[in-house]
Amino acid sequence: MSTLARKPKKSKFNTTRVTGLDIFIFIILTLGALSILIPFWNVIMISFATQREYAENPLLMWPKEPTFSSYQALFADGSILTGYWNTIKLMAAGLPLSLFLTVSMAYGLSRPKFPGKKPIFFLVLFTMIFNGGIVPLYLIMKDLGLTGSLWAVILAGSFSVFNMILMMNYFQGLPESLMESARLDGAGEWRILRSVVLPLAAPIMATIALFYGVAFWNSWYDAMIFLRKADQLPLQNVLRAIIVESQTNASNATSVGQGTAASFSTGMKMAAVFVTMLPIMAFFPLLQKHFAKGVLTGAIKT
Amino acid sequence: MKPATITPGSSKGEESKFKRLFIEIWKYRMTYTLLLPGLIWLILFAYLPMGGLSLAFKDYRANDGIWGSAWIGFENFKYVFRDPAFADAVWRTLYVNIIKLFITFPFPILLALLLNELRMRRYKKVLQTAFTFPHFLSWIIVSGIIINVLAYDGLVNSFLALIGLPTINFLGSEQNFYPMIILTDIWKSTGWGAIVFMAAISGIDQEQYEAAQIDGATRLQQMFRVTLPNIMPTVTIMFILSVGGLMSSGFDQIFNLANAATQNVSQVLDVYIYRITFQSSTDFSFSTAVSLFRSIVNMILLLLADRAAKWLGGDGLFR
Repeated sequence: MSTLARKPKKSKFNTTRVTGLDIFIFIILTLGALSILIPFWNVIMISFATQREYAENPLLMWPKEPTFSSYQALFADGSILTGYWNTIKLMAAGLPLSLFLTVSMAYGLSRPKFPGKKPIFFLVLFTMIFNGGIVPLYLIMKDLGLTGSLWAVILAGSFSVFNMILMMNYFQGLPESLMESARLDGAGEWRILRSVVLPLAAPIMATIALFYGVAFWNSWYDAMIFLRKADQLPLQNVLRAIIVESQTNASNATSVGQGTAASFSTGMKMAAVFVTMLPIMAFFPLLQKHFAKGVLTGAIKT
Repeated sequence: MKPATITPGSSKGEESKFKRLFIEIWKYRMTYTLLLPGLIWLILFAYLPMGGLSLAFKDYRANDGIWGSAWIGFENFKYVFRDPAFADAVWRTLYVNIIKLFITFPFPILLALLLNELRMRRYKKVLQTAFTFPHFLSWIIVSGIIINVLAYDGLVNSFLALIGLPTINFLGSEQNFYPMIILTDIWKSTGWGAIVFMAAISGIDQEQYEAAQIDGATRLQQMFRVTLPNIMPTVTIMFILSVGGLMSSGFDQIFNLANAATQNVSQVLDVYIYRITFQSSTDFSFSTAVSLFRSIVNMILLLLADRAAKWLGGDGLFR
């Protein structure tokens, strides 16, 4: 971010005097940031609060008697752990597969010329503007015998043309002479990819791996379509079941939990939200840096 | 490279041209093996489903499958275009996305301009972190947060009650649904959208600011007379690109924020497709016909957006 967000240098003419404009901008931006942070803070604090305290004051900003009981109830229920485990499986299989598909095709298409390069590239690009949509995809998955298996979700999410083009652009920027000299030494393209190109591609690999990682972590639609059994569902779908699907009527959203006396359902829901976004929070500094870079090279170069 | 054409009784020259092409292809056989895994994926999960759209012109029977079912021409479309729910869904999609586009679009630009004027660098970074964070969360997580905050007894309504204002039924009312969608969209995506404009601002030639300052321009004037005109090309391109998504954007948000009370107003085209395919009686031919309609309109919008972007001197969506 540092290079992108660089403030224009106006030093020569700049006064250090704080003007009304500065104060105005400061206040507006601070209010904006608070409007984003407070909901998060509220969610996290509710997850640590007791039901009694929440009932007294939903504006809760600091629980007086913090408790882990919502988390205990959440983990005792177990579905969130199953969700975690399924998402980990999804990523463990999906990330290597997606990187393999993306890297190999990106390097292939970054080769300067070979017969059929243009039509092949067009076929790849065409999938970005036209797609069959979910219904035929569902039927194809069914024909392949993949519905009801996590593999359907893994395969459906394992390739993104956008990511491939980002990587291809990066490869095209590498000096061709390196590949050429390896070729003269008798190395094949796959070997060149592995021992010449990949060692130089660490930054783009990290960016693309994070792109796929976040996409897999956040994916839910494919799983909702292709999977049937509750114990197969990834984390996001479990969270959806806990929060969205239980919200039958918004006006009495808190009366949803069955055992209101036994467990604090809002607290449990908020604990589930927190647990699901925790990994994104943990990786956020890294994500911010790489995503900004990726989206900008994407916007400028493709 | 032009595809080789074999015409009957071709001359010797053309025959050797064909041979040369073959030799050329053989020379690059390794490159093709690099493309193979990706191409197999694209064939299985992009091109086969595209072929599967032929179902729109067939009468789907589970036993015969996509490829074996009988052709019936445009029969399905007759029912599609006669279904009032379909027309409603199409107009609703356009309506939601167009008002969303016009209301939410200026926010990232405004944020970028304000952040650019903020002179506390460290604080600026902190703010950017806060503003961009929601972008990385799925709409399921964000819905969880929003349902909590905007619920009848949630944060916002408790606050409104505290300061003596009437409470608002954000989530369970048909007339508040679109404003709520717009509000939460701004909440989630403004910070991320600002990044492109921040980059454009950082590319502005500093001499323009210096010249403006010599002419005695105030900072506000510099903002509107130097910064804004300089990022206008980026603004135009971003606007056009959003037009390309008018028919397809917003599903995750609307689907996850909808509930029984907002069943009707939340039925945009993608929600409609989901509901008729996986929730009510499954007539795959009918839903494929709707899908095909959606894909074609999407493609037309994207191509128009691309054309317009190029016409205005940008790169467009595709090079």
